[in-house]
Order: sequence, then structure tokens, then C-alpha cells
Amino acid sequence: MKRKGIGFYLRIYGKILAQDIKSKMSYRADFIISTIGMIFTNIAGFVSFWILFRNFPSINGWSYYEMLFLYGFSLVSLTPVQCFFDNNWSLRMYVYSGDFVKYCFRPINLFFYYQSEVFDIKGLGQLAFGIGTIAYSWYHLELGFSLLMLLKLMLFLLTASLIMIALQNAAAATCFWIQNSFYVLDLVTRFKDYAKYPITIFSPVFRFIFTFVMPIAFIAYYPSIVILRPDEVPLLSWFSPLIGVLFFWGSYRFWMYGAMKYSGTGS
Amino acid sequence: MLKKYITLTRAGIIESLQFRLGTLVLIAGNILYLIVVYFLWKAIYASAGTDIVNGMTFSDTLIYLVLATALFNFMEMYIVWEMGRDIQSGKIALNLLKPMEYRSYEFWACSGAFVTQFFFTFLPTFAVVAIVTHGAIHFGWNLLFFVISVVMAVSINYSIDFLVGTICLYTESIWGINIMKQVIVMLLSGATVPIAFFPEPLKTIVYYLPFQSIYNAPLTMLLDDASQPQTVLTTLGVQLFWCIAMTILSKLFWKVSLRQITVNGG
Repeated sequence: MKRKGIGFYLRIYGKILAQDIKSKMSYRADFIISTIGMIFTNIAGFVSFWILFRNFPSINGWSYYEMLFLYGFSLVSLTPVQCFFDNNWSLRMYVYSGDFVKYCFRPINLFFYYQSEVFDIKGLGQLAFGIGTIAYSWYHLELGFSLLMLLKLMLFLLTASLIMIALQNAAAATCFWIQNSFYVLDLVTRFKDYAKYPITIFSPVFRFIFTFVMPIAFIAYYPSIVILRPDEVPLLSWFSPLIGVLFFWGSYRFWMYGAMKYSGTGS
Repeated sequence: MLKKYITLTRAGIIESLQFRLGTLVLIAGNILYLIVVYFLWKAIYASAGTDIVNGMTFSDTLIYLVLATALFNFMEMYIVWEMGRDIQSGKIALNLLKPMEYRSYEFWACSGAFVTQFFFTFLPTFAVVAIVTHGAIHFGWNLLFFVISVVMAVSINYSIDFLVGTICLYTESIWGINIMKQVIVMLLSGATVPIAFFPEPLKTIVYYLPFQSIYNAPLTMLLDDASQPQTVLTTLGVQLFWCIAMTILSKLFWKVSLRQITVNGG
């Protein structure tokens, strides 16, 4: 069998995406309300920072705009997982009911086909809000602007999102082994709420844990510091693209391993 | 008379004990949250330079936020999801036929999870906090006021949930409605940042809304060891007002909305 190229997969993705959006559009009210809900969540995060910094000028040496930058960075880097990998939330239902088998019989990559089936539009609201927050804090921090910085920002945003995607893939794939995997997925999703804090506020023990055991710090802190404080970039920041790719690849293998082991429910 | 309610509660307890792994992961998630909150506020207080900010010490703030989470865990009964799913699947038709008001049926059916959550998450958290902060929680009349206050908070929270769940009859959207409710309640009730820290115009507005009666009222009452009878009475009075107002409102809204209902055959 001929190996299928990227062009082939992009074409397929476009086709599936069009169908998905058509079906979503038939529930227009739901789509609008969900988007507003998403933006609400982001505004609430913004407001709680605003309230905090009305009382305190800085937290552990981090100013209001620096914290906002971290927040905006985390929002943007969490968008791909929201938009492209939302079907992970349904995985345990498909596996449990046996409907997962339908994905196994297509002549394309199983992981690709499964994830492509759902595109979550409401993530776009978050993307817009995140970009706005980054631009706003960037302007107030007077970081200057160059093409190189923009490229760096995009590269590090991309690697940061790979980490979150990897965490979610791995968490979702646990459903091939345990029944009630919702809680695992839910726990991992809560990680993202903590990504917006600078890791320097934690004690050394937890700094280590949040870097190497639960890599929350790679979702926003390590990658964003390259832009935010270019003079004091820790070595780990430069490694984060590599770590992102590695994590993603690992989670993909884990997901596929679970899927290949899957034997259906017999119905 | 009472038997039917207790039977529902019992069924709920048994059902929620089924998912022990779920409880474990929930506890792990809470511990993680507590660690983050602890270090965040420690850093905040270290930067402030003073021990007391807006009348709250570090341990006050910590107790407030930790117990707010504990209260959230045991008050959150996912009623909006429950109702939304009932509406979407059409199962609501069966529940409407039951010889019990839908509003109270849902409440008692969820009350089992409530009991287990209280014993497995709220009480242990409370005990740990009381021991760790030794002495910051005063044991006296304030405990009694706290309990009364929490009971009313549960009722207000349920009414808000039921109200929001009823909106699902019109929109058939669950996720969006629920997330909006959760965000508004968590922020304006003081569960994310204590209301004492809110800047002025916002603070006054928030005190006129029902949300602060859910988390802020019981928690400030608990932390206030030298409470004036007047403040206690005002706080409880305001809570009672919202308790009654929200119950009437949610019942009325449900009654009106029931005419809207469309059940997909089946």
C-alpha cells in the first residue's frame, strides 16, 4: 500500500471539518451560548487577576502585565487542544459502547481519523481573547517588536500546546484499561488552570514536581519567559520545543497502543 | 411521608459509593489545588509586606479559600447537567409523571451524593485545616451560625442551579449554560478571590446579589470569632431573604416553562 502524504490527510481533514461544522450549525443557539460561555470563563480569569493586583502591586516580583502575559500565553497555547482534540472527551463512551470499532476499519491513520471527527469552534473565542491579552500586556510591558520575536513566540506557543495535547491524549487513552477514565481526564484538564502562574512562587520541591512529574510549567511559564524576560531564560526553556515533540510522540504511541489492544465489546 | 425522601437519599449514597476511584482522583485533584492556592497566596502575602490585608491574615485567607473549595465540592450536584440530559433524552417525561414534584425529586435524588461528599471531602478538609492552622478557627457559637448558614447556602445554590437548569428547556444547550453559571457563581460568591479583596464599587454591588450568600456569608461567619449579634443577624437575615426569594423564583419559572416542554418521542 502506498504511504499517504500530508496533502492527502489535509484534504480529508477539510472534508470532515466541513461536515462537522454543518452539523454543529444546526444547533445554532448551542453554538452561540457555548462561545459566550467560553469567553465568560476567560474574562473571569482576567477579572480575578485585576482584583488581586488592585490590592498588591506585584506578586513575587511579577508585575500585573507580566502575569497577564502568562495568562494570555496559556490561553492561546491551550486552544489547539480545545479545537482539534476535543473528541478525546468522548473516547471512553465509544470504547465502552463498542462503537469505537468503526474507526478501526478505515484505511487511514486511526488516531488522525478519530481526532478529526470533531472540531470545537468555541475554542476560537478563547484564541481571540488570548491573542488580545498577549497584545495588551505586550504593549504595556514595552517589550519592543521584531519579526524574530514573533517567530519565537509562535514557535514556543506551538510547543507549549503540544504538551497539553500530549497530556490529554495520554489521559484519554487510559480508558482502554480503566472504566471510569473521566476522572483522570478531568484531573489533567484542571492542570491547565494552574499553568498561568509563574513557577517561581512554589517551593523547590513543587518546582521540581511541576516541571518533571506533572509538566504544568511547560504550558506557559518556560516557553513564555523567552519573550517575557529574555535576560534570564533558564536552560529548560530552550529545551521545551524538544520536550513538546517528545511528549506528543509518546502520547501518540500510548494512545495507539491502547487502540490496537482494543478488542471491542463483541456486539 | 418522610420515608420517600430518605429512600431517595439512601439510593444516592449507595450509588455514589460505587465510584471509589472517582472519589480518590477527586481528592488528588483537590490536594493539587490546595498546594497551588497555598503557594500563590503565600507569595502574595510575602510581596504585600504586611500581615493583614483588607482585614484578613494569611491563614484567614487560606481557610476561607480552602473551605470554599470544600463547600463547592459538596454543594455542586451537577443539577444543570442532570436536568439538561433529562431534557435532551426525553427522560424528563418519566420524572414528571412521578408522584412527587420534579424540583424536590431532583433534590432528594441528589442528596445522597451530598451526604457522602460531606463525610468524605468536607469533614476531612475541615479537620485538616483546623489542625494545620491551629487556633485560627474559633470553636464557639460561630460554628452553630456556620451550620445554619451552610444549610441556607445549599438551598440558595440549589435554587440557582434549578433556575439555570430550567433555561435548558429553551436553549437545549447544556455546556454553555452551565459554564456561564459556574463562572458567575464562583467569581461573585467570593470562592476564587475573597470578597474582602474586591475594589469598592464592585464590592457593594456584589453584596446586593444572591451569590455572596453561598460562600462568603458562611465563611466570614466562621472566621469571625468576636461576632456582634447584629452582624450575625443581618447576614443570616439576608441569606434567609435570598433563600425564600430564589425558591419562589425558581418554582415560578419552572411552572411557566413547563408549558414550553417538547419531548422527542420515544
